[in-house]
Amino acid sequence: MAMTRTISLAIDSRPECIELLSLALRGLCGLTALPPLAIAEIDLAMVEAVNNAVEHAYRGEPGHSVVVELRLSPGCLGLSVRDRGEPMDPWRLAGSAEIAEPDRADPATWRPRGRGLAIIKSCMDSVEYQIQDGANILVMSRKLDRAGPGSGS
Amino acid sequence: MVLTHRNTDGIDIVALAGRLVMADVPQVRQRLLAVVEQGQGKLVLDLADVGFMDSSGLSVLVSVFKAARLKNGDVVLLRLNPTVRSLIELTRLHQVFSIFDDETAALARLR
Repeated sequence: MAMTRTISLAIDSRPECIELLSLALRGLCGLTALPPLAIAEIDLAMVEAVNNAVEHAYRGEPGHSVVVELRLSPGCLGLSVRDRGEPMDPWRLAGSAEIAEPDRADPATWRPRGRGLAIIKSCMDSVEYQIQDGANILVMSRKLDRAGPGSGS
Repeated sequence: MVLTHRNTDGIDIVALAGRLVMADVPQVRQRLLAVVEQGQGKLVLDLADVGFMDSSGLSVLVSVFKAARLKNGDVVLLRLNPTVRSLIELTRLHQVFSIFDDETAALARLR
């Protein structure tokens, strides 16, 4: 009988530890029929969320824990990223639906940063931000039968 | 992340290999900005062996592009793998960067 399987992974809040999470996620995705580009998109969403925890919630300071939970259910892959650093303004998530159009002729549009949340929302089918018992949690999911890479809203 | 640099007729060609992610960004940004600063600001970035990139990697590309434009130069991207191409298109940066599959064409764009 199909059931939900869950694994939790914790890393220290250092950028060099994030690749370990990618390796684990890709291993879990090997249990699905997801195509390589879809796996890369889910990996990207997770990396962006963990980057935010490391860089913004913990302000780049090592020595804190970032916990990622991966949930493999029939038809759905869920993941959540949890930290106990500075909370994010929830409006940032609500206001990040669109990726700003850069214009080669207009240097003001050549923004180096600020794409992470929009990337996450594009790569996943649902994204929610929660604060529970002092922890900041970004909860995401992606249907396993989604039409293809980049087809999310 | 491995970075290989050569110069052809005043055009810098830098090949990156590995994952271009937050852990690598300070080192890669510094080295690419140094290439732009010391050269003519004409840079081909060969990304054939970059299998994964996040938004902090994109920030490096944009920073280097801005530095090159300040010297009236340009940065073109060469040989994107499907994952990186998908990210570039998702973030609309293909409207800023010229993208080539062939090095000769990339060099011609900068001459």
